Amino acid sequence: MLDTPDVTPPPDFVIETADLTKRYGEVVAVDGLSLRVPRGGVFGFLGPNGSGKTTTMGMLLGLVHPTSGEARIFGDSARHPATLKKVGAMVESPTFYPYLSGRDNLRYFQGVKRRGAPGDIDRLLDLVDLGKRAKSKFSTYSLGMKQRLGIACALLGDPELLFLDEPTNGLDPAGVVEVRELIRQLGRGERTVILSSHLLAETELVCDNVAVLSRGKLIAQGSIKELLRSHDTVRLRSTDDAAATSILREISWVEGVRADDGYLLVDAAKERSWEISRALAQRGVHVSELTPLHRSLEEYFMEITETDPTTGRAKS
Amino acid sequence: MIGSIPLLARWEWFKLRRRWMLWILLFFAILFGQLAVWGQYFSYNTLRSTGGEITVPAALQQGRIPRTLACNDLLSSDPAKHPTDLDAQVLAGMTAQCRQQAPAFPARLERAYQSFTLPGSMRTALNIVQGLALILLAILTASAVGIDYGSGALRTVLTQGTGRWTYLTGKLLTLLALAAAGLVIVLASAALSGVIAGNLIGEAPPSAGVVAATYGDIARAAGKAWVSLLPYVALVTCVTVFARSTTAGIATGLGYYFTEQIVIALFSTLFSWFENVANFFLVRNITAWTGGGTGGFTVGTLPDETQALIVLAVYGTIFTALAYWLFERRDVAGATGAG
Repeated sequence: MLDTPDVTPPPDFVIETADLTKRYGEVVAVDGLSLRVPRGGVFGFLGPNGSGKTTTMGMLLGLVHPTSGEARIFGDSARHPATLKKVGAMVESPTFYPYLSGRDNLRYFQGVKRRGAPGDIDRLLDLVDLGKRAKSKFSTYSLGMKQRLGIACALLGDPELLFLDEPTNGLDPAGVVEVRELIRQLGRGERTVILSSHLLAETELVCDNVAVLSRGKLIAQGSIKELLRSHDTVRLRSTDDAAATSILREISWVEGVRADDGYLLVDAAKERSWEISRALAQRGVHVSELTPLHRSLEEYFMEITETDPTTGRAKS
Repeated sequence: MIGSIPLLARWEWFKLRRRWMLWILLFFAILFGQLAVWGQYFSYNTLRSTGGEITVPAALQQGRIPRTLACNDLLSSDPAKHPTDLDAQVLAGMTAQCRQQAPAFPARLERAYQSFTLPGSMRTALNIVQGLALILLAILTASAVGIDYGSGALRTVLTQGTGRWTYLTGKLLTLLALAAAGLVIVLASAALSGVIAGNLIGEAPPSAGVVAATYGDIARAAGKAWVSLLPYVALVTCVTVFARSTTAGIATGLGYYFTEQIVIALFSTLFSWFENVANFFLVRNITAWTGGGTGGFTVGTLPDETQALIVLAVYGTIFTALAYWLFERRDVAGATGAG
């Protein structure tokens, strides 16, 4: 009989939280968050201001103590220093020692992290286009340069898991494109990038999966394609809207029907548009116009977080 | 975890040595040590050339400003060296005082000589610097701990997986090692000045049997001075971590040092029992432990060395435990912006 080696497979999820909660007095910043982030790819962490994104990142990175619940990275306690050695992070604005140069800041953080080679520093400085200002003090850097140094620092030691909180803040348009491409590259293979951003169009271009938080609660999680598909809408104009509404409401896979500005909006997968048309025709209602609507992540986000698209604020 | 502390201490030194503050504080420590040594050198020169000085009070010279007279002049057989504007009776009194002091003069001269030549120059510098070191190290500690909060860099540090208590331990060990190095540098510079001053002065005064401090005495005194810094570093660390502010740490380090002594001086004159309470105060016990050499003023009898050591250990333990507890327990946010 052959001995089977007792090898524990690596966890499929790099981050797992169970009922994670953080209260500040009466305010519940994060409310019973149970989240699973799969290994590899770019994971978008979305939510309006004050939704608990940064607090959640803080708890995952051991900066903030949870009031209750559990957070695990690579299957270990998120606060465990050995776990954090495999993690790179830039949370909120980049914070460094103002009297040290960009290079010395990176040397220091590489030293305390004990990962990587001395040559990595110059490589990372070049990667974020800070090579020429490497000897300047951090206090003399512009916001965009500070942001670039923050990204370089997060990449020290070639981390398996990378947290980037608003990484494109303060960058010019060319810089935004560069960072977007960089994040895409970083998310290839086994590395996982957790990207928190307000720029939803950017997020849609870069992320594979997202989690959406609102008022401290997880309100949606999954791949962008699935999430957007689950909220597909087909817009149609018919010869008898009242009859069409009643017919469509009888169909099990139609999630909702509503009238809007002379059209009927049908919540159903756009691939089934032809079935909608056929069902109505069979009951004597004819369709004069039928358009599957493509919804952006931004529209989806505004809807599920109940944010007013014109003001960007939560609907009262 | 414990194994990472020396590495964290090494990188703390990487940061600290790039700050002007460290070198400015060291400069002041050396400067005050040197002032003490060279002050003794000039005092010795004056003592040797005057044979000691006697102050003539205003009341004995028709209300004129008090002045000093050199005993060498008064005891001189040359009348031209005697002051002519003093009453003969006053002059005789002053001369008698000089004669009275004359037997003790060789010992006084030898003590003065020993205070600026090796190894006594080191003891002289240490007497001045050990009190000053409390304040200088308080400033350095508050600054080294507080900048992590002010700049927000603590968040970036902790996300590198340093561990909280190991990071704070590395920082405090570096500060204490720097304090020890600072004392050694001050002593070395005082030793060098002692050699130079000894060569400048030339021949030593005749021996009067004064027992000089030995290198062992100085090493012991330096060790005690270093130990006396520990509870004060703990106090400043605790306040800086609590307030997340360099300014609060520095204000406490400076303010407490002087306030305690003023409070003791004030209340001890008002209430006889207060001295017993004061014997459990921090700076008073530091003064007692270092043999009264902290530069502060003392009222009444200082506690004995053993009590002082116990009190300092209790203070050190409480402040350190509190600082670690706060540092471990608190959530870490971004930059406070506080100085």
